[in-house]
Amino acid sequence: MEHTRKNFLKNFLIGSASVPLILAACKKEALTETGTTTGSDTSTGNCTVTATETAGPFPTITPSSLVRSDIRLDRTGVAFTINITIKNKNNSCSALSGALVDIWHCDKDGYYSEYGGTSMQAVNYTAVHFLRGRQVTDANGLVSFTSIFPGWYQGRATHIHTHIYNPAGTSLLISQISFPEGSTSAVALVNASTANGYTKGMTGYTYNASDDVFKDDTAGAQTGTVTGSVSAGYLLTVTLYVAA
Amino acid sequence: MPKRIIRLCYRKIIDVSSQKTWDKYVFESTYAEFLLQVQFYNQEKKYNSFAEVLLNTPAAEKLHFLVSAAVTGYLQQLGGRVPDITDNLGKHSLTFKNYRFEMVNSNIKNKASHQVAINFFSEPLTWHETIGNYLLVSDPDSEKQDDHILTSLLQLQPFLSICSLKEETI
Repeated sequence: MEHTRKNFLKNFLIGSASVPLILAACKKEALTETGTTTGSDTSTGNCTVTATETAGPFPTITPSSLVRSDIRLDRTGVAFTINITIKNKNNSCSALSGALVDIWHCDKDGYYSEYGGTSMQAVNYTAVHFLRGRQVTDANGLVSFTSIFPGWYQGRATHIHTHIYNPAGTSLLISQISFPEGSTSAVALVNASTANGYTKGMTGYTYNASDDVFKDDTAGAQTGTVTGSVSAGYLLTVTLYVAA
Repeated sequence: MPKRIIRLCYRKIIDVSSQKTWDKYVFESTYAEFLLQVQFYNQEKKYNSFAEVLLNTPAAEKLHFLVSAAVTGYLQQLGGRVPDITDNLGKHSLTFKNYRFEMVNSNIKNKASHQVAINFFSEPLTWHETIGNYLLVSDPDSEKQDDHILTSLLQLQPFLSICSLKEETI
């Protein structure tokens, strides 16, 4: 009886000595768990079960989704190609290669891509950055984008935003491209094309001479040359000068 | 009897102390994109920090959206699974289709202060009950196997929250 009592007590004491250690370990690690979700591995051994799964995914370096020449994504409208050549004023106006050219413009209804009112963005909705793109100029200083003919919105003439950076990423020029006007111009003909979804026509349109950004450009230095037709699509060609 | 459908939100913070490869790629990629995009809102080069640019140029609010272009490729590499959060079986069973990217802090002259957040919104889950510090949840669309449904236990933890609630009467 006493023998078993001694054994019992001995075992009990051993048991009771070890249990608090386990409890303390759990508790201590629980207090340090605040570090787990801020970037370090969750396998810090706290009371949360360590992740035990087949390895993966294996991340690969991916360029910004802006780096693309076809910027249409889900936007529809008259086919439009934008060819921009960059020349360097600091080098006898020769072509500047290796420059980053960002462009963005509104869709046929006058809307820019941006975060919507809802707080959630859908990861599979890759069109969230529509009509924005980035290309690097080639040996001829040229970049080309496939897009749709922009629409317009209240207070502004049709335009394309441009932001040119040198190869190191330093901003060289932030500017806008304007469009030729007139009854046979692409702007007039495209905006009349309800078949292609342009519903506003030219009612309430702000022409270049009244546009806050373009009204000073009487020589049309910011205006691209536009050729083509509504059915075949249009091509805009422009040369921009930077001091690189 | 009402059925409660919730969405969990995990706000993943990525900054200079992040160790995982994916996190580091996102850190580098978003900092590079920030350096490009911020120049549009800081043309007089008066400010160095994201906070100052945002304070002085309200339109710089667009930077959350603009810099997010740098993460879309990385988000697709996650295969629809919310990172870091494991259920009580040690698996990344929480799935997402929606996210929102945030610039938290950054500085043109100090890469170490760059900090971004990716808010992962889980797919809807039925919240059955809370057991201690664990949520007992299940996929609302999962079929009943006989008369039971498959569930999982998720621990409540920092940066994980219930961000939406819907009550449905069955």
